[in-house]
Amino acid sequence: MKRPIAMFVSFFVCAVLLAGCWSKKELTDLAVVIAVGLDKTKDGRYLASFQVVNPGNVAGALQRGGGAGGVPVSIYTSTGDTLVEASRKASKKLSRILYYAHTNLVVIGEEVARQGLNGVFDAMERSHQFRTTARLVIAHGHSAKEVLSVLTPIDKISANQIIKTLEFSEMSWGQTINTDVWGAIRGLTSSGRNTVVTGVVIEGNPQQGKRQTNVQSSVPDARISLDGLALFKKDRLVRWVNGSTERGVLWVLDRIKQTNITIPWKGKKEAIGYRTMGVKTGLKVKLKNGQPSILVHIQTEGDISETYVPINLADYRLLFQLEKAIGRDIEREVKQAIETAQHEKTDVFGFGEAVHRAHPRLWKRIKKEWDDRYFPHLPVTVKVEASIRRTGLRNTPYIK
Amino acid sequence: MLFQWGMGRQKKQINDRVKQEGPDHSGEAADVPQEPMSAELAVNLDIIRQTTGQSSDVVIRRFSLGQEKQINAAIVFVDGLVDEKHVYEFLLTPLLEASFPLSLTEKESFPWIEQKLAAVGGVKHVVDWEHLFLELFSGETIILLDGVPSAVSASTKGGQYRAIEEPQTQLAVRGPREGFTESLRANTAMIRRRIKNPNLWLETMQIGTVTQTDVAIMYIKGIANDEVIEEVRARLRRIDTDSVLESGYIEQLIEDQTFTTFPTIYHTERPDVVAANLLEGRIAILIQGTPFILIVPALFIQFFQAVEDYYARFDIATALRFLRVLIFFLSLVAPSIYIAAMTFHQEMIPTQLVIAIAAQREAVPFPAFVEALIMEVTFEILREAGIRLPRAVGQAVSIVGALVIGEVAIAAGFVSSAMVIVVSLTAIASFATPSFAIAISARLIRFGLMFLAAMFGFYGIIMGLLVMILHLCSLRSFGMSYMSPLAPFISTNVGDTLFRIPTWMYRERPRLINQKNIIRQSGDQKPKPPAPTRREKEDGS
Amino acid sequence: MEHSKINVRQLFVLIVLFEHGSAMVIPLGVSAKQDMWIAILLGLALGLLLFLVYERLFHYYPDQPLTSYVTHIVGKPLGKLLAVLYITYFFYIAARVLRDFGELLLTFAYPETPLFVLNVLMAMTVMYSAYKGIEVLARTGELLYTLLQILAVVGFILVIASGLVDLTQLQPVLEEGWKRVWKTVFTETLYVPFGEMIVFTMLFPYLNRSEKARRAAVAGMVLTGINLAIIMAVNTAVLGADAVSRSSFPLLDTIHRIQVAHFLERLDVFFMVALVIGGFFKVSIFFYAGVVGVAHVFGFSNHQRLVYPFGALVLLWSVAMASNYWEHIHEGLKIVTLYLHIPMQIIIPVLLLVIAAIRRRFGSSAK
Repeated sequence: MKRPIAMFVSFFVCAVLLAGCWSKKELTDLAVVIAVGLDKTKDGRYLASFQVVNPGNVAGALQRGGGAGGVPVSIYTSTGDTLVEASRKASKKLSRILYYAHTNLVVIGEEVARQGLNGVFDAMERSHQFRTTARLVIAHGHSAKEVLSVLTPIDKISANQIIKTLEFSEMSWGQTINTDVWGAIRGLTSSGRNTVVTGVVIEGNPQQGKRQTNVQSSVPDARISLDGLALFKKDRLVRWVNGSTERGVLWVLDRIKQTNITIPWKGKKEAIGYRTMGVKTGLKVKLKNGQPSILVHIQTEGDISETYVPINLADYRLLFQLEKAIGRDIEREVKQAIETAQHEKTDVFGFGEAVHRAHPRLWKRIKKEWDDRYFPHLPVTVKVEASIRRTGLRNTPYIK
Repeated sequence: MLFQWGMGRQKKQINDRVKQEGPDHSGEAADVPQEPMSAELAVNLDIIRQTTGQSSDVVIRRFSLGQEKQINAAIVFVDGLVDEKHVYEFLLTPLLEASFPLSLTEKESFPWIEQKLAAVGGVKHVVDWEHLFLELFSGETIILLDGVPSAVSASTKGGQYRAIEEPQTQLAVRGPREGFTESLRANTAMIRRRIKNPNLWLETMQIGTVTQTDVAIMYIKGIANDEVIEEVRARLRRIDTDSVLESGYIEQLIEDQTFTTFPTIYHTERPDVVAANLLEGRIAILIQGTPFILIVPALFIQFFQAVEDYYARFDIATALRFLRVLIFFLSLVAPSIYIAAMTFHQEMIPTQLVIAIAAQREAVPFPAFVEALIMEVTFEILREAGIRLPRAVGQAVSIVGALVIGEVAIAAGFVSSAMVIVVSLTAIASFATPSFAIAISARLIRFGLMFLAAMFGFYGIIMGLLVMILHLCSLRSFGMSYMSPLAPFISTNVGDTLFRIPTWMYRERPRLINQKNIIRQSGDQKPKPPAPTRREKEDGS
Repeated sequence: MEHSKINVRQLFVLIVLFEHGSAMVIPLGVSAKQDMWIAILLGLALGLLLFLVYERLFHYYPDQPLTSYVTHIVGKPLGKLLAVLYITYFFYIAARVLRDFGELLLTFAYPETPLFVLNVLMAMTVMYSAYKGIEVLARTGELLYTLLQILAVVGFILVIASGLVDLTQLQPVLEEGWKRVWKTVFTETLYVPFGEMIVFTMLFPYLNRSEKARRAAVAGMVLTGINLAIIMAVNTAVLGADAVSRSSFPLLDTIHRIQVAHFLERLDVFFMVALVIGGFFKVSIFFYAGVVGVAHVFGFSNHQRLVYPFGALVLLWSVAMASNYWEHIHEGLKIVTLYLHIPMQIIIPVLLLVIAAIRRRFGSSAK
């Protein structure tokens, strides 16, 4: 019994002495990077911006009133030929270790996106610290660094504002897409689908935006807003789309959850509003003479949300007519989006993947030239079935 | 290695001394005279006086028997151990007033006293000094006659004992409020009142060469496993120590494995608990002088069962059981998880929380492990202080401890608020654990896990828990696997572990403890209220 | 030889935990892309057939482990040689899995810590369990099995609740036809984990009712096969076949993506628990089989004294095995499969069975 104990002890002592504190990171030695921005410098190197949280100024002032009135985040920048190089170089400026496990947002400058995203995501994917659930946006009109520098009124940490806006905007309005790094990588690796990423703009003066004064007024000098959808072809940004085309893309991608559609009625342009509650989009692939064609089948359910014309909503036959009108409206948006994508020769909808799933052998032959040759001339039919379920708390409007 | 060498030397020293002084018999403090009893009264009384060193509470009352023959006699008893009323009214008076038949010799007078005069129960014939002193100090009265080389001991046990009160530990809102006392007889009586069955057997023995403490085992013959009973007897007989003052002594001398933090013997202050366990086939060990009764064999899951679980209905009992397991787990692991998350795995914590905690920890100079250690040790100190404080001061100190130390420590920057929360939670959890014995093991293991967490993070905690589980699974309690009925899994007994099935579903007793007499109750115990009668239906409609 | 006995339920639990081992966390059968679940199920089917060989051998020689009856079948010198070969095989696989496990842990959780340190902790726990014996290991398994089941179910529910499952990712089914699937089966899924059941030939003698061995093992293997197929199918449905093939730990990626109610995120610790428990059981059982084998072949009455030297051996071997992770994987996939798994798991047992059957027939007719 003595020898085993001796061996046991010696093993354990080995482990203890050797273990030391390798993987140990004290929380107070970490700089929690909540968002990363990527731009290109004039000489073509990467300019990485890090939005680092200043914990004392974020949490409630209960803890020893740490630095009242300080800014909750700080921006650090660093240049390098690769991301990891830039990241480690930044340690020259920081009193802490950069910690990426809580990086929830990646902002990519438009220039970087136009030049190609290949390779940008590899470090993020490979690192065990970085989580690919981080949200992704493209900075439109300003650099990523400027976007990250803007201070926001309601969310102390501005990255949180962008993240939450992404989520709720997709949910309520459906013109922006909430995508993360992993989704982007998937688009990059798939030959049957290309990525779309939401754009972020600064409304106002970015110079004023980075000051504390920005959040001390009810109408801030600079606001961050989501605007536009970036269409990618392979790894390059090729086109921004806006407005209803943007929504059209999301219809096909089956990412609409709730949105509002206004249709014209009896001469009036924007007469009746229809709010969707549940949307389902299906893609069907049909083969005709060895050539594929796509049927986009959209089913929505919803309510009438407002009306500007006198109309007897209690008449269910009228509702059926409204449904058809709504269907036409949606069809128009969708067709517009598809035409735009076809014009840019980029299949952002995943039609290629659908063909792959349905006719793998055909796909094998055509997948190399899908984006350039087959997709732009792909016959696409759109079929929309809109159903109106209810009309809210009133039947006929008060308008006479 | 050094330790072994030191132990070896010590052993050698003891062995050498034993060789010089004689066999290694424990506690030869009192030498009982080896010669037989003399026939002369004076000699015997002298021996008694000498052996007890003329202790002032050993009362010797001389008298003469018979009106004519005048045999010299004496009674000896220890004041304070006897019930004086018994001695005077039922022993001395009849002896003094008795009229002896003239023809009775000394030799015949003893049987005559035994059978006719002593108006008490428990009359024994004592022939050697060892038994005489044992009886004397057990509270019996010794009757000596001149001319007879033996004595009679009459049962006159009495003396002051603590009255039956509510037990201090294992409180229950619903259930009997009786707790055991220090008197062995009173305790056995309390158990007998609950199990009025002749098969409830009691075996007594004296353990402890100097203290000669009465130790009794109780079991229900036919339900308890004969092999286990024999094992218990054998282990108790093997004990060769000089003193047994509390059941703890016995527990530590007969337990299956010493080098473990987990208790393999259960102890309780409540008679209903003992009775319930006896009915399941377990064996109770009672010790004179302590209200804590030992119950063997004990299983891990028993330490999570509270008395009230059985008196309350099954839904609340089940919920509380789950809560208790959670509590135990918390008290074991909470500080370690905090340390592991703060030093290695900051990605596990939601972002908002990380920022909040980082803000708090800015001010603290120590790494998380040291902080945790400081707080835990402080808390253990507070707890020890709490036990020793007289009740009057206790309230004040708890206020001091909680508010002052907690708040001020945070304000001074010694610890962070999150740490205080974790430690408080751990402390409350360890108080909420139903059995004190298992709370102690959790206290100790907690420090080990904290250490592992500080070195290896979550991996260390998982490994530590794995080793703990392996260890638990290797324990046995008097032949039974400690972790049954969860491992090995015995489906019929699982109804009383982490959850509690309704009482009408309990069909069998714990299987490993006993093999025969397994059926506890018949199959259709489900309460069936009668169907509504026709009269009620008419009234309703 | 220990006097402990395990019952059928414990055997079942040991088999399930062992088979899950590291298989649930590594990309199993990934060369079949989105058909890997089919490859796993086929591997299960073939593995069951293979298992019947082992079971028959056990049936001929109940109460004896492989290292014993091999001498009965082919004579003492050759038998002892084969027994030693098997013992070495078991220790090697124990060291392999230990290395696998350490690398896994190191990659995603503790990159700066040296491999040796991580392995020491695991090795000590394995040694402790081997020291205590198979009965303790079985009981521990019973307890942890329930825990793992609960974790699995909860994890599954969370994945579905996060809305991650997209069954279209499993299409096109059988894109490359059966050829690719069969190729995967014969190069990967048959041997790991189903062929590794051979180690249980060392443990069957401990079963208290030997006729139940088959039932427990078949149930265990089937359950494992289905579980693993479901796990890999879910991984594919969530991540897409391409991402799965590029990932070192697909299950971890799936768990990363769980986001329920803004609060249940970052559940990596689940993964670590499953990994540690699974890895522990796999290494333990291989190690224990090896130690018991040594005790048998070289006539030690008590296997406990062998635990520490062989434990140290396995630990050091695991670190010395390969210089980098991909060399280790390459070794595992190409060399070990061809030169170790096929002979030890298939060829030799089948030969043994044939010889034993022939002996029986002639033996009984000679009487």
